[in-house]
Amino acid sequence: MRRALLAITGLAASTTAMVVLKSGPGASQVAQELPAAGQPVAPAPDGPAPTDGGAGPEASPSGAASPRPRRSATRAPATRPTAGATSGARLPSAPRTSSAPARPTTRTVTGPVVENEYGNVQVRITLSGSRIVDAVALELPEETAQSDQRSQQVDDRYSGTSGLVVQQQGADLDTVSGATATSTSYRQSLQAAIDRAN
Amino acid sequence: MTYPRTHAAGRRAGTTPSRDGGRPAGGVRPQVPPRRGPGGRRVLAALLVLGLLASVLPWWLDTPAGSLRTTAATLTAAGRITGLVAGYLLLVQVLMMSRLPLLERWIGGEQIARWHRDLGATLLVAVLAHAALILVGYADLEDKPILTEAGVLLRDHEDMVSAFAAAGVLVLIGFTSVRAIRRVLPYELWHALHLASYLALLLGFGHQFSNGAQLFRPGPVRTLWIAMYVVVVAALVWGRVVAPLAFNLRHRLRVADVVAESPDTISIYLTGDRLGELDLLGGQFFRWRFLTRGCWWQSHPFSVSAAANDRWLRLTVKVVGAYTRDLRDLDPGTPVWAEGPSGTFTAAHRTGDRALLIAGGSGITPIRAVLEELPPGSALIYRARTPADVLLHRELDWLAQARDVRIWYVIGSRNDPGPRQVLTPDGLRGLVPDVVRRDVYLCGPPGLVAQSLAVLRQAGVPRRQVHLATFEL
Ligand SMILES: Cc1cc2nc3c(=O)[nH]c(=O)nc-3n(C[C@H](O)[C@H](O)[C@H](O)COP(=O)(O)OP(=O)(O)OC[C@H]3O[C@@H](n4cnc5c(N)ncnc54)[C@H](O)[C@@H]3O)c2cc1C
Repeated sequence: MRRALLAITGLAASTTAMVVLKSGPGASQVAQELPAAGQPVAPAPDGPAPTDGGAGPEASPSGAASPRPRRSATRAPATRPTAGATSGARLPSAPRTSSAPARPTTRTVTGPVVENEYGNVQVRITLSGSRIVDAVALELPEETAQSDQRSQQVDDRYSGTSGLVVQQQGADLDTVSGATATSTSYRQSLQAAIDRAN
Repeated sequence: MTYPRTHAAGRRAGTTPSRDGGRPAGGVRPQVPPRRGPGGRRVLAALLVLGLLASVLPWWLDTPAGSLRTTAATLTAAGRITGLVAGYLLLVQVLMMSRLPLLERWIGGEQIARWHRDLGATLLVAVLAHAALILVGYADLEDKPILTEAGVLLRDHEDMVSAFAAAGVLVLIGFTSVRAIRRVLPYELWHALHLASYLALLLGFGHQFSNGAQLFRPGPVRTLWIAMYVVVVAALVWGRVVAPLAFNLRHRLRVADVVAESPDTISIYLTGDRLGELDLLGGQFFRWRFLTRGCWWQSHPFSVSAAANDRWLRLTVKVVGAYTRDLRDLDPGTPVWAEGPSGTFTAAHRTGDRALLIAGGSGITPIRAVLEELPPGSALIYRARTPADVLLHRELDWLAQARDVRIWYVIGSRNDPGPRQVLTPDGLRGLVPDVVRRDVYLCGPPGLVAQSLAVLRQAGVPRRQVHLATFEL
């Protein structure tokens, strides 16, 4: 029984230690030095980031080319797309393949990162003239299976060359039921991108 | 009072005298087995610890430094860590009970049982912490009362009903294993409840992959986690089905004779095929199933009470309950199903070449078998309440001569001056001056074991030289 008590104490102590190591900017210094942190360590985003992970520097720009960026399984070294970057200029490894043939009139505009309690949402739209021809979610909450599932529903409904965004040509979209927070954040990022484009 | 080599009077009240005095009549002479260091056991223990670290690693890699800045995030993170730990420990718990021959011989059934008990308590705490932390963390995140959140979890999240059920099963198992409660339950009931842990394994499986933050995405982590399940299930099939089947088909054990050793103790002699090829060491035990009406559905552990030979196997059983009472009436020819051998209470696990053996009551049975394989020059202290309780007396006398064993029969109740004097550091040193340099083999009732351990510690015998058989699984 003495060993059981030891094991339980050890469990509590090491869980606490791990959580502490991953929390707060002060502690992140320590964590950066640990070789085990094979994660690209970027400065923590500003502002409160209630869920873990989702708020982290996970948006992989290379994934932006695919219709479902957040599903990229590899956590490639990522530069965090700066909020408000217009055109793909700040996203060097984001060749467009799917929906935007290189026509001179085509441009992309990226909306800001909008945080909600489940993670971050960031939307990029492609315009041909003033017409939206494509919408891509660069980042969606995916930390838990639940939020991943909801994000996928929102993505399926809104994004793509034939999604609601392209159909409606604006940010006045129906909320995806059960995914209110993500829908709302999506619309905010989208609205900001549209505003920027005009 | 101590009686060196006493011939206790009136010992044999049984009907049939021991057939051949327990000597390996014409069988293979037992040899001193080569030493097996603790290496195997240490490697296994290290592997288990490494596995634990590896199962938390995905969380560590998935969680960016500095990302846990709210209460909800912190609680949820702790919930995930404890969840991964619990998932891993549950697999280890089941693996340890798989009866894999490797584990049974390197670590030994009794030692595994001790680890299992300690890890079981840890697992229970991990499961409860996991459930509570995730619940409170999610409730905080979504700003809902905890009970509402519990409803949401059960309703909206996949596989959570079965996950809660799995936690319930584990709590029940943990509760009935608290010593005080276990003692008042019939062993069979306790055991049946414990079998429900397979149910927990099954019920808890789904939610890890449908909701686990580190496991819901297809990828190497998920694949490895599933692989761990496959390994454990394979170990179960091997240890509980294939290996016993192979063993019993090969040796086809059956009862040869049942003889009385004392009014409340019997020896069961078994014969079988190819007994000379048994990979069996004195002091090890099997789990025996006697295939008669009334007995076949229970398996009970008993040590072999003589070293392996090519003619017979023997177990010596003290009648303590309903099952052991029935064993007295076994008919010759009864087929026997055995699982084993298991245990590290053997001459092969000695650290040096001289030993002191301390036996209490029926604890003499494995010690009698170990003695046969230890190098000459051992010393034996045999505690018994009355001369009538001394078992296997003639064989011990034979061993005293054949293997140069010094034997002290210490007769009397625990509070008599003789036994009291012997079980002190000075008393031990008086009988065995070099006790600190000897391996000590200890087997007997819990009181004697606890007392002896304390005395040995005071006398300065290093713990790794002490070998324990507690008759407890
Ligand atoms: C590794 C080991 C080696 C043993 N070697 C011997 C031996 O050589 N000689 C000997 O006389 N006894 C030995 N025992 C003890 C023996 O197993 C029990 O005395 C026997 O199982 C009691 O069964 P029962 O139904 O007659 O008594 P009960 O009154 O039903 O049980 C008494 C106690 O025995 C234990 N027990 C009961 N059934 C089982 C079971 N199926 N599996 C495990 N434990 C059980 C329980 O702790 C129980 O409280 C050994 C036990 C272990 C663990």
